[in-house]
Amino acid sequence: MGEASINGEPAAAKAAPNGCSRRLTDDEFDRYSRQMIVPGMGKEGQLRLINSRVLIIGAGGLGCPAAQYIAGAGVGTIGIIDGDVVETSNLHRQVGHATARIGMKKVDSLITHLRGLNPLPTYVSHPFHINPQNAAEVISQYDLVMDCTDNPVTRYLISDICVLVCKPLVSAAAIQKSGQLTVLNCPPTPQGLVDGKYAPCYRCCFRKPPPPSSMVSCGEAGIMGSVVGLMGVAQAGEAIKILASALHIPSPPAAGDTPERNLQQPTLLIYTYDLESAVGPYSFRALKMGGRKRNCFACGENSTLTLAGIRAGEPDYVQFCSVPTSSVSLPPEERITAAAYHAAKQKGELPEHILLDTREKEHFSFGSIEGAVNVPFGKLLMKAAAIKRDVSPASEILPLESEKTDVPIFVVCRRGLDSQETVEKLKELGLDNGGKRRIVDIMGGMKAWKEEVDPTFPFI
Amino acid sequence: MTPTPPQGHFNILYFASAGSYTSKNVEALPAPLPLRKLFGTLEERYKGIRASVLDHSLVTINLTYVEVPDDEVAADGEEVVIQEGDEVAIIPPVSSG
Repeated sequence: MGEASINGEPAAAKAAPNGCSRRLTDDEFDRYSRQMIVPGMGKEGQLRLINSRVLIIGAGGLGCPAAQYIAGAGVGTIGIIDGDVVETSNLHRQVGHATARIGMKKVDSLITHLRGLNPLPTYVSHPFHINPQNAAEVISQYDLVMDCTDNPVTRYLISDICVLVCKPLVSAAAIQKSGQLTVLNCPPTPQGLVDGKYAPCYRCCFRKPPPPSSMVSCGEAGIMGSVVGLMGVAQAGEAIKILASALHIPSPPAAGDTPERNLQQPTLLIYTYDLESAVGPYSFRALKMGGRKRNCFACGENSTLTLAGIRAGEPDYVQFCSVPTSSVSLPPEERITAAAYHAAKQKGELPEHILLDTREKEHFSFGSIEGAVNVPFGKLLMKAAAIKRDVSPASEILPLESEKTDVPIFVVCRRGLDSQETVEKLKELGLDNGGKRRIVDIMGGMKAWKEEVDPTFPFI
Repeated sequence: MTPTPPQGHFNILYFASAGSYTSKNVEALPAPLPLRKLFGTLEERYKGIRASVLDHSLVTINLTYVEVPDDEVAADGEEVVIQEGDEVAIIPPVSSG
């Protein structure tokens, strides 16, 4: 923990635009020869990499593969920031860690791995999470930032700081079976310059975060190791390209030369991988993005964003990313705890009822409450929409052809949010039969079931 | 590969949470359709998709970013119209990693 020192060098030291013209050592020559002979790289490009400082934010599914190629390529100073420790469930994708290092800080584990790969770079450990108070100080020590994080709060924070301290940002993300990659703020351009073509920031691309209810983490939605790995490797490739060609050096704002120096078409790469089909439709799409937006909150012409403001809590990133959604608050009589449901069932107080489990079928397949019927939440919403359009009768949303319209319905999901929305939805469709039929949410979902009723339940 | 849309239609691709919301990766919708009516058309088919997915997503037509007008009423001047055979994509931000 504590402040990172970079071998006593001044933190603001920066690569000379053209690299320096020193000789490569024999070790460097051997180690980097295969990439130096690639057209466009050469000794000059290699020296630029050696003189560069890269910050990798997040030592997880993106950060591990990205860091391996950044280290292998010989970037001179590699900083890694992450506050987590290595867990078993990380290892299928976080290939810079190891089974023997479970429980170790991720930054230390990853640096151990990287030193084995290439001992020449200087590795800087920042074993804490990035936040509005420390972000500017850490980021300004580097030439280029790689966003390998896993949540929108830090994505907006990192992008905002990169705009303010003029650093290029290579941003990647992945969930389940799809990934995204984009280069932002490159070449870096001072905040507020909009006359001309300048590269966008994260906010120019994604003005608003998704509502929290629709956001899922890799822990919830799952992630294929190869998908996130591919995005991390591609991210390293973009970073190496920028550094080797000195695109990370901000152009002086008043310089007489063309402001759109080397501006390439801003691109968002999308990767989609299809598990259902063994051949074919995995696909890459390169989407042409717009440039910097005149009215962008962070980099636009009237932006009021400042480093001092961010440090003082303005904007409030957590608040920004948790905009209120249509959160349902059910009355107490429409809710039951997992323990109370179990007890009532044991005592025979619930002779006949329907139990809907709205988790995804993969989650359901690991285990469910006896008698539960799986209707994944997404499918349920679709059916509800079809019913609203009068395409199908309301009863179709229920899995059973139940003649009786007064049999109570209980709804359970993973953690207790979707189930409440489901109860609301079913009532909206009139399935409560004018109040004659009870529709009840099992509070806290299968997570509560594991905690209150069955500790052996395989909750994922 | 994405199937060619039938005559008088365009393909719309649903990425990430747009795909989970619609339970589809791709479908064909009737063309031509003014871009400003796209979100309304989708909301009719998938109630709630606007607030949950569309409002924070990127939209591309034929792999190029387009700005979706806030107003569904036709504005003066040129407007973007989705044409037969076009490929539209709904791209929500992904933030995990």
